[in-house]
Amino acid sequence: MTAIRTERGLQGIAVALTAAAAVIGVSCRRQPAAPSAAGADSKVTELGSIEVTARLVEIPEGAIFKREMYDYATVLKYQVLEVHRGDVSEETIYIGHYNPFKPRSEAADRRVEGIGGNLEVFRAGQMHRMALEVPIDDYFMGGIVNKYFGRFEGPIYWAVWTDEAGE
Amino acid sequence: MSHLPPPNILLVGGFLAAIASVGASQALVALIEGEGPRVAPLLTGVPSAARVRAFESDLEESSWLARRLRPWAQSLRFSLLREMGDDVVPGRDGWLFYRPSVRYLVEPWPGHRDGLEGSIVSAIAAFRDDLAARGVRMLLVLAPNKASIYPDRLSRRADAVAAVVHDGTLSVIARLRALGIEVVDLFSVFETARRRAEPVDGGRGIAAELYYLGQDSHWSPPGVRLAAAAVARRLLDLGWVERGEAEYALKESRVQRTGDLLRMVRVESIEQSFEPEAFQALQVVDAVTAVPYRDDPGSTVLVIGDSFLRIYSQEDPGAGGLVAHMARELRLPLSSLVSDGGGATLIRQTLSRKPTLLAGRSVVVWEFAERDIRFAMEGWPVVRLR
Repeated sequence: MTAIRTERGLQGIAVALTAAAAVIGVSCRRQPAAPSAAGADSKVTELGSIEVTARLVEIPEGAIFKREMYDYATVLKYQVLEVHRGDVSEETIYIGHYNPFKPRSEAADRRVEGIGGNLEVFRAGQMHRMALEVPIDDYFMGGIVNKYFGRFEGPIYWAVWTDEAGE
Repeated sequence: MSHLPPPNILLVGGFLAAIASVGASQALVALIEGEGPRVAPLLTGVPSAARVRAFESDLEESSWLARRLRPWAQSLRFSLLREMGDDVVPGRDGWLFYRPSVRYLVEPWPGHRDGLEGSIVSAIAAFRDDLAARGVRMLLVLAPNKASIYPDRLSRRADAVAAVVHDGTLSVIARLRALGIEVVDLFSVFETARRRAEPVDGGRGIAAELYYLGQDSHWSPPGVRLAAAAVARRLLDLGWVERGEAEYALKESRVQRTGDLLRMVRVESIEQSFEPEAFQALQVVDAVTAVPYRDDPGSTVLVIGDSFLRIYSQEDPGAGGLVAHMARELRLPLSSLVSDGGGATLIRQTLSRKPTLLAGRSVVVWEFAERDIRFAMEGWPVVRLR
């Protein structure tokens, strides 16, 4: 009898904790900003030849990892929401970010200069306003982790500036 | 109902407080910084294994408390146990080793070894065939793990051994050669050099010239020159390259370097307990103008590989890496393409994405680190050249 009561009690606590966490999670979720206004700073509107606001569709397993020995870029999949500058015809584009485990403000180094932004951490579902160049190989020669290799035909874009534009 | 004795309550309470403090401190920091809780992305999307793993990894790296406690804990572990974290294994005489390379050498291979070897051989053979279809020959160079060449610096049990090659490496090389793929055996080159060199410590096998750096996972300047000479000699012997007419000279340059293994520890107090390594490197310079060596993007020989190409080339002193010394041996400027840590697969993907990099080439020299046989980033898929 005691064991059954304890089990029920634990179940109740688990349900209450999950519900509380869900409420916190949903309530703290940032409200999406209007794409055309969000994340527009002077860098993102001036750098690169292309400027878009796009939603980060997913982060494939193993695409972003901390790597102390070497620098790398990783390719992430985006759904384009708005094109501010340049010519982007695809709805889904693939963008390479340099050392994505670092906040964008700390990503530039001696090897890759001039990149940045205010994005702290990449999370699936985020909207990013980005200044881009294309193709990536003209702007970055180094290790490119591409979990989508062979799964799309289009070019890979190079992220010059990445600002958070809501979720 | 029985009551827990006070010491047990204290233990349980302390344990619960310890594990709760991580989440509580993180939530507090997030509130102060005006961020939503980290758990939000996990709860607002479709649950999946990848999402949970990404969340866990994010938590590990971004935890405010963990980031503050980690250096102290690592410092303490180093002081008490000489442990240097997940990536670095301390050896003898102040030498450090990269853990994946040590694991490669000492651990039994997983049960799927045959499948793994098959993938590697298929991927390399397909690459060779695609290059051959374009009229390009391929020479393969495996950069030996430091632990394979200096096992005696890892453990005193290997005192009498000049080099030890994992039978998995030997098996892969044998299978590649059986398919007619040319492979430079740097293991024998380094082993022979170590045996021939004059011992400086009463015959313990430590030569006057060290072919790898103590605090770094890469080869030393003498090691680079030895490897460059062996690769160039093979190209000439095969008749794939004719010696050119460029005149290069060598220029001594003093280098002071904090090794990549030491930097990997990421704890300042541990880093400071080691002196940076100081050594002479040799830059390759134009014999007439003394201008440091520069690649020729239009060269018929393209050298591709990982950080074993980068060291001394894109880092101090510059013009002192494998490619520069190969160019000096061949009296011919070369072209190169480097993908740090991606010598096995990422570099092939780059060539597949940008086939113009192969235009006008007659030879590709492909270098990758020995440990990539088992631990290659992105594994060993077949990557077709378009």
